[in-house]
Amino acid sequence: MNIPIELENVVFGYTDTPVLKKLSFSVPRGTFLAIAGPNGAGKTTLINLLCRLLHPGSGRVTIEGSDINSYSTRDLARKVAVVRQGFVPAFGFTVTEVILMGRTAHLGTLGFEGESDRQLAAEALELTDTARFASRPLSELSAGEQQRVFVARALTQDTPILLLDEPTSFLDLKHQVAIYDLLKKMQREKEKTIVVVTHDINLAAQYCDQVLLLAGPQAHHPCRVGTVHDVFSAPTVEAVFGVKTFTGTVGHEKFFLPLGKFAKDAAPASTDPQGQRAD
Amino acid sequence: MIETLTSKTLAVRIVTTLAVLVMVMCICALLGSHRISLTQAFSGRHGIDGRNTDYEILVGVRLPRVCLAALVGAALACCGVVLQAILRNPLADPYILGISSGAGLGVIVAFLLGLSWTLCGVSGISVLAFLGAVTTVWLVWTVGRFAGKSHVMSLLLAGVVVNAFFSALIMFLISVAAAKHLRSTTLWLMGNIAETSWPVLAIASVCIIGGIIALFTATQSLNVLTFGEHEARALGVDPAKVRLFAFACSAFITAVAVSLSGLIGFVGLIVPHSVRLTFGPDHRQLLPLSAIIGAGFLVITDTLARTIIAPEQLPVGVITAVAGGPFFLFLLARYTRKVGWLK
Repeated sequence: MNIPIELENVVFGYTDTPVLKKLSFSVPRGTFLAIAGPNGAGKTTLINLLCRLLHPGSGRVTIEGSDINSYSTRDLARKVAVVRQGFVPAFGFTVTEVILMGRTAHLGTLGFEGESDRQLAAEALELTDTARFASRPLSELSAGEQQRVFVARALTQDTPILLLDEPTSFLDLKHQVAIYDLLKKMQREKEKTIVVVTHDINLAAQYCDQVLLLAGPQAHHPCRVGTVHDVFSAPTVEAVFGVKTFTGTVGHEKFFLPLGKFAKDAAPASTDPQGQRAD
Repeated sequence: MIETLTSKTLAVRIVTTLAVLVMVMCICALLGSHRISLTQAFSGRHGIDGRNTDYEILVGVRLPRVCLAALVGAALACCGVVLQAILRNPLADPYILGISSGAGLGVIVAFLLGLSWTLCGVSGISVLAFLGAVTTVWLVWTVGRFAGKSHVMSLLLAGVVVNAFFSALIMFLISVAAAKHLRSTTLWLMGNIAETSWPVLAIASVCIIGGIIALFTATQSLNVLTFGEHEARALGVDPAKVRLFAFACSAFITAVAVSLSGLIGFVGLIVPHSVRLTFGPDHRQLLPLSAIIGAGFLVITDTLARTIIAPEQLPVGVITAVAGGPFFLFLLARYTRKVGWLK
């Protein structure tokens, strides 16, 4: 079977100085990959390269075994769905209408959705807990609710690969976890390959299999790829993000609590039996 | 199961509104300064000279004019729908990208040159108006393309600048024109549907109806495009292709409409918004229903224009503006807060 996502020596820069230098990695089918790193390290740039919004200066991006440039816009949209902080138009499309637009790449020229398209949209409404406001205009919802609608639309697109750019940034705790649970479910039940750009390394540690940690082009190690255990160690996280952390474990997985200079617990050594300060 | 637009509901709505439109057109054709009785009109030749005046007025004068009004109304409403979608701006109308000033300039040049020739029954004035409109739109598109990164924004700016420049040229030409050209130019600038001939109508209907059908194939892409370029791409729609296609088609049908009727304002603004408020924003429905309702709206306003102060006639643009002005203010108040790029 083809590898869903593969990058070979990808170089990209908005100006002459590259943001991504000679980046190579591949994502096996059914993997849940988190892309983490500080601001400006190139996380969103990388997502945009994977959905062909940007073209690499050199190197190759391969989707499902074929060069990304060999796909038509329509065919690529049947392979890759993207969730980002969406623009909400002034026209009052309802939540259901927006979610059904996920089917666009599967419709004919005079495309009207059929029963199976509606079925998929109805499922996505249930899964994302958006059915309650299915008939309300998108523009009337809160940012968090809108974000769930965009996730639902990407699920309706029914693609093997799902890219999400900070899908939980506007969500409350309950819905953050709900989105990650949903993504995990999609990964397990439908063998989707999922790539999430996130600032929340603790949630990433709990849910993701692989981590791609971007440190920025100037860093000594610009990019680390590996399992959560390999990549998320206290020294690495502190070096890449440039912040002191309190590192603990919850069962198997670590968690990182950033502690600034004036944080209440910054100065004295922690007495928590489970955690150790990693200075 | 979820409730949304299906092709069946749409077909029913199109057929129903079309039936209403045909009825409106028939009634409006019978109204006017000269009373026409149907029995009289279809009773054959009679009288001393063997002429049937009622028949001649109905078929030779009223019906072509009613049909022209319907075509122009449909074209302007569709163009409004399309431009509002591709510019992602609810306040866009068919003239926002310079078609009006370009066509206006063409017409004034035609009046000043005293053109009297015709091309397949189409007057030289119409031909120059069409050429002016098409050239301006091409100019705006090219300038907008090279001006900046955000295509939508630079298109709007290019449209505004070109409009202002050509309007200044129009004002200059009007101020130096002889008085005899003034009235006809002013009438044209206000929008004026006049009597026309069947061959001209045939050409216009092929162009406009063909353009509307072509636009209908892009309506789902327009739905997606209102979410912006990135989203459209992610959902499988190439924004550059759709924008060029929709823009070219809508500019073409507007140029045809404007060359035959002058600058009729507000139809392209109020009809799409009324349909959107009533039936929802899905362009697969919005486009055909706006075409039909726009046609009906202009047939009715044109009938008012030629009957209110009969036997004198008002330019139809006056009526649409009187109805459209207050409505436009209402829309401005309602939508401005929601337009992203105004923030």
